Amino acid sequence: MPNLETIGLTKRFGGLVAVNNVSFNLSRGEILGVIGPNGAGKSTFINLVSGLYFPTGGSIRFNGRDITTMPAHRRAELGIARTFQLIHPLEDLDVIENVMLGFLFARSLSRREARREAEALCASLELGGVEREVSRITMLETKKMEIARALACGPEILFLDEVMAGLNADETLSLIALVRKIAGERNIGMGVVEHVMGVIRELTHRVIVLENGEVIAAGPYEEVVNDPRVKEAYLGGAA
Amino acid sequence: MWASLGIVVAVALFLWKPTVLVYGLQRAGLYAAVAIPMALVLGVVHIVNLSHGEFMMVAAYATYFAAKLLGIDPLVAMVPVGVVMAVFGFVIYRLTIRKALKAPELNQLILTFGLGIALSQAVNLAFSSQSWKLSLDYVTASATIGKYSFGTYDFIFVAAAIALAAGLKLFLTRTRMGKAALAVGQNPRGAAIVGIDVDRTYAFVFSLAVGLVGIMGSLFLTKQAIFPTVGGPYTMKSFCLVAMAGVGNITGVLWGSIALGVAEVAMTNVRELRDWSSIVFFVIIIATILARAIKERSA
Amino acid sequence: MNRRLGIIVGVLAFVAAACLPLLSKVAPAIAGPYALSLARSIFVYLALAVSWDMLFRSGQVSFGIAGFFGLGIYGAAIAGISFGLAPWLSILAGGAFAALAAAVFGLVILRLRAIYFSITTLALAEIFRIIFHNGGDFTGGAEGLIMPSLFSNDDGALYWLALSGVAIALVASSWFARSKIRFALTAIRNNEIQAKSSGIGIYKYLMIAFVVSSFVQGIAGGIQLQSYGSAAPDDAFNANYTLLPLAMALLGGVYSTIGPVIGAILLGLASEGLKLRIPYGHLVVYGIIIVLVILFMPNGLYGLWLRGARRREGSRRGDKGDRSGGLGAGKAPLVAGDAGGPVAKEAPHA
Repeated sequence: MPNLETIGLTKRFGGLVAVNNVSFNLSRGEILGVIGPNGAGKSTFINLVSGLYFPTGGSIRFNGRDITTMPAHRRAELGIARTFQLIHPLEDLDVIENVMLGFLFARSLSRREARREAEALCASLELGGVEREVSRITMLETKKMEIARALACGPEILFLDEVMAGLNADETLSLIALVRKIAGERNIGMGVVEHVMGVIRELTHRVIVLENGEVIAAGPYEEVVNDPRVKEAYLGGAA
Repeated sequence: MWASLGIVVAVALFLWKPTVLVYGLQRAGLYAAVAIPMALVLGVVHIVNLSHGEFMMVAAYATYFAAKLLGIDPLVAMVPVGVVMAVFGFVIYRLTIRKALKAPELNQLILTFGLGIALSQAVNLAFSSQSWKLSLDYVTASATIGKYSFGTYDFIFVAAAIALAAGLKLFLTRTRMGKAALAVGQNPRGAAIVGIDVDRTYAFVFSLAVGLVGIMGSLFLTKQAIFPTVGGPYTMKSFCLVAMAGVGNITGVLWGSIALGVAEVAMTNVRELRDWSSIVFFVIIIATILARAIKERSA
Repeated sequence: MNRRLGIIVGVLAFVAAACLPLLSKVAPAIAGPYALSLARSIFVYLALAVSWDMLFRSGQVSFGIAGFFGLGIYGAAIAGISFGLAPWLSILAGGAFAALAAAVFGLVILRLRAIYFSITTLALAEIFRIIFHNGGDFTGGAEGLIMPSLFSNDDGALYWLALSGVAIALVASSWFARSKIRFALTAIRNNEIQAKSSGIGIYKYLMIAFVVSSFVQGIAGGIQLQSYGSAAPDDAFNANYTLLPLAMALLGGVYSTIGPVIGAILLGLASEGLKLRIPYGHLVVYGIIIVLVILFMPNGLYGLWLRGARRREGSRRGDKGDRSGGLGAGKAPLVAGDAGGPVAKEAPHA
């Protein structure tokens, strides 16, 4: 049984159908790529799965349990986490404190334990200087902090929403390596939304392609990338 | 559904005491006319101004002096007072609000709260908390239909509300500044990118709103007593109407004000409920919140 | 400032304050009846200012302090008169009554944010006033209730009572600052969506902040009742009990315990001086102070001090030390209307 499953998931905003009848599944240990042109509904999809939006149709199951109307913070407790494309670190907390949140609240650790765990987590992500203010860290460090924040919730399923955007080639490579290591070590099922095709090719076991809120293709990267429908939807993605 | 409920209530009130409908409508006019400038400032460009009612109060006092010292009738003074208030609003905007717009919204909230206190207490300091009233002949106009007679002057508030609503609609859809205001309200950065002078738009809209509420202040003076803190309840009720109607929904404000006005007047006509009439707007806010929350849950 | 040093100084200051009435014969200028009564008044405002800040740390501005303060007065009065409770118990009853009201109203109004929440709290105080005004014999109507206090002639006892109110407020505020609650409230204030996504139950923590701060306000009301012996609608729910604590917390420095304390002492003393010179309308100063603080020093006096301290220590350690935490000072400007974050359309679910 897959850990995370959506069945006919649909989201309507007034007249606009952002996500239309999307069924997919994800299990621990898998890395799934989610690609599609801009406006395809990828972020909306993640928001639905993580609980920031409630669907207008369809359902979501996690480890066999229906979580369709479960609020976001409870899903984080349960084991579904995500990063944000537009990262808004909490500016009145420093880096380590941002990371501690998941340990404190999704996992209910004490402050001392949370601090220890957060420090260990940051070390494993090669993120140093954790007592700095968030306004003073680099772009790559911000991404690492955001990934750490999500990992702090102890997720079984993690969605990375365009986490590679804005990084140069070296940074991208190092982050890919870190992400792969972590997914393996913790046996996390990962959904990776990306525009950078190289990342998808390197990292993922299989891919689903969204266009206009619908799944138009699914399968291993090589297969999907040669699918004529995908090529048409995607006028020019970097391969 | 709401329409049929409204009709049922209106008929019931008419059968009980038709004057309730008349006075309720007149009061609704006043509430709506004061709320519409707030719909412009809060609803369209999202500037939070808790001193809305205090601007009306200041205008009323200015009009009072124009009447007492210069002998100018408030309905005439209305226009120059409106202009003066618009300028005053512009100055306030430049000195205080503009800076707060760059900071999180709660800064505007607290800032305009302090501003409102400063204005009402400055007036208190200068003129004491005594309430003042003008006695004008024409406000006693009345009409008689059948066995019911009622004051008719207050329909001027209804006229004002309709004029403001129509004027605002025209402003937003037909003028460049109005469209700029809509753009700025939806996406300030985007508006700036396409060349709209965002700051000038905010300044204009804010000054316009203060000018309009200033005109209402003169109108207010003709019928009501004024005192330093008279503005407070109007800020709250305007806010309640704008929030209830939803951002940008002017007809909603009109309907909401009718509900509010009629409900309040109806209650003052029932002896046991008389003292509770000022709670009506609060009940409306709570009911609206609950209704929205329930709708969200089931979405 | 070193935390340990701060605690020691704080405790010493508190002990010194507690000893003040003992000097009443020796130094009447600072410890005589007038001074003690002034201090009591400052203590009440101090407790209110600290409690206001506790909710403010979540990013929500409450204009309803007077409402819960008044509920505390009435709750204590009714507990004392109708149920014959002893003073201490009636004060607790006042606090409990305010906390209960906060819990009940909070169920509904904590779904709101920003101006919507704030205006509703402003309305609350007015609503309570009307309710108690119209409550007939049970609440004493327009004239209110009279409850002669056991302490009415004992300046020292009243002073210590007020000081214990301060202690309760300070303990509550420190609890908020030292526990997980600080993380939760700060996260909610900075970005609710991010907070939710890290497992923070927004509604739960807002409720905690709202109920606890209202409890402190109710306690302050119960204590006030002992000083003045009466509960009348226009006095109990007087808007000053919202205006002054707000100005004090802002001036002293928000998001801290010490800030409101500083503000309360400064403004409390200044207000005495002002009242003697300007009989009415002196409140205009508070309005002006609020405007000036927001425009020019949103982090208050304590915030300024911290910024200075950070600059001195700054280059040494890549900026460790308390953050300015303030109302936008030094942050990237947030353009009005910028929803921030990817989830712009839908209202956050509680």
